Amino acid sequence: MSGNIAIELGPARFRNPVFLASGPAGYGTEYEELIDLERIGGVVTKTITLEPRAGNPGRRLWETQGGLLNSVGLENVGAERFFKDKLPALEDKGIGVIVSLAAEGWDDYEGLLGAADDSSAAAVEINLSCPNVERGGMAVGTDPELVARYVELARKRLPDRAIIAKLTPNVTDIVSLARSAEKAGADAVTAINTVLGMDLEGEDSRPVFRRVSAGLSGPAILPVALDAVWRITRSVDLPVFGVGGISSVDDAIKFFAAGAFAIQIGTAVFYDHTLPERIVEAFEQRGLPARN
Amino acid sequence: MIDPGKGHFQAVVSRRESLSPSCVLLSIERPRDFPEARPGHFVSIRVAHSIEPLLRRPYSIMDLTGSELVLLVKVIGKGSALLAGREPGDELDIIGPLGGTVFPEPEGGEAVMVAGGTGLAPVLFAARAWRNANLHLVYGASCAEEILESIVREGFASTHFATLDGSLGYHGDAVSLCAELVNGGKVGGSYLYSCGPKGMVSALEAGLGKRFTEHYTSLETIMACGVGACRGCTVPTRGEKSPAYRSICADGTVFRAREIAWEDWNDR
Repeated sequence: MSGNIAIELGPARFRNPVFLASGPAGYGTEYEELIDLERIGGVVTKTITLEPRAGNPGRRLWETQGGLLNSVGLENVGAERFFKDKLPALEDKGIGVIVSLAAEGWDDYEGLLGAADDSSAAAVEINLSCPNVERGGMAVGTDPELVARYVELARKRLPDRAIIAKLTPNVTDIVSLARSAEKAGADAVTAINTVLGMDLEGEDSRPVFRRVSAGLSGPAILPVALDAVWRITRSVDLPVFGVGGISSVDDAIKFFAAGAFAIQIGTAVFYDHTLPERIVEAFEQRGLPARN
Repeated sequence: MIDPGKGHFQAVVSRRESLSPSCVLLSIERPRDFPEARPGHFVSIRVAHSIEPLLRRPYSIMDLTGSELVLLVKVIGKGSALLAGREPGDELDIIGPLGGTVFPEPEGGEAVMVAGGTGLAPVLFAARAWRNANLHLVYGASCAEEILESIVREGFASTHFATLDGSLGYHGDAVSLCAELVNGGKVGGSYLYSCGPKGMVSALEAGLGKRFTEHYTSLETIMACGVGACRGCTVPTRGEKSPAYRSICADGTVFRAREIAWEDWNDR
């Protein structure tokens, strides 16, 4: 089997179901010389907030066994510059884009959705799960009722765009978050964002990050992500973007077998940027992997 | 911004030379199509085809000729130990050249270059690239064995060594030696260049920055993407908005030392 592996989500259509995950992929263009972004499904751009954010002070990266802790803290150029410069730079080249948005409070969320509404973005991923910021992010995303409120407002303000809710694994039951997103009108969910983690260093065993806890990504979290995708797809009737630790074509196949509708590659692009295209190639030759 | 165009290459190690108890010189056959690079550019190497260590490792380019790419590797952990252990004939997975800024050539042709440890690499690349310049090297290491004298080739108007234990040259750090030399009128020039530990460069800027028209420094830190996407390797800079973080991999590696908010650049 081979050929067309395009996917559709609401009004958005993508070449295939292989995306670069939000965060590592930056605004997409940074990788242009290394990854053929027109070959993959698209880029989930770095999360933007209404106002620019400087990001967290102090160390932001720390490698662990098979994983990477980060405390970047949603450094971004803000909605105005993103929609004016960054998004057109991708769209003009025919690169698939999912725009990642994060609120820093309710008022600000209204503004952010307004900016998205004024833009050409066909699909938005609401980041309800960043562990590295004080307001918004995981503080909202661990509460099923707040997840519902945030998704509902996005649905209302962006009626003709695809709405994807990105969920945190740092809860007792991620399925309840997916159910909230479904009831509130999301078109899909993304599972998972980074897993909370920390490390200690030095003779006095001090936390490596100023904020102590950071977000763990990379191969170490694959089983956590796979489990989330499996459980969500068996309880909720929404397409799921599977993300977390995918490092090989075989890993990608597992996510589809677990029920994923599409996948996102994050940390692996740092050390193996050829992976997204290799996965696309494998799928084009063999067709999309079957669901278990 | 000086972007030479970057690529992904499989390159073969041609020579491995142990220079000191901790440092190895790795010469790599320059892959065909490997773009030109300038002092301050770096490459990012996948040191193992496994997930341990996970990330690529960044290395300053020490030399790039028509046939060779030369790197200076100091063993400080698992990743550098794996790379330093590569033998001639081994293949390396390399991305590069990376970096958005480079050392500009000195005005007037005379300059002082301060290197600490493997910070020597981009400084040597500059000395090789600017053959007509009058360059004074001030180079510090922990002890005589770690002073890589054999690779400090001709190309400098004068060379000055400092060791922390006093086993070779000046007894003390490179910054103190540089201050003595500058104050004594023994070295000078329009520009000051540096590469080395953060403490060395910040002390150099605090003590001697104002004595030069410009102080350019090539910074190093832990990196993930190497292309400016992940915002993991940022350094706080002075500007209208504070804090303003810039990425060392893409906005650097070379910065004006006075632009860095040294007092805010901490691990925690």
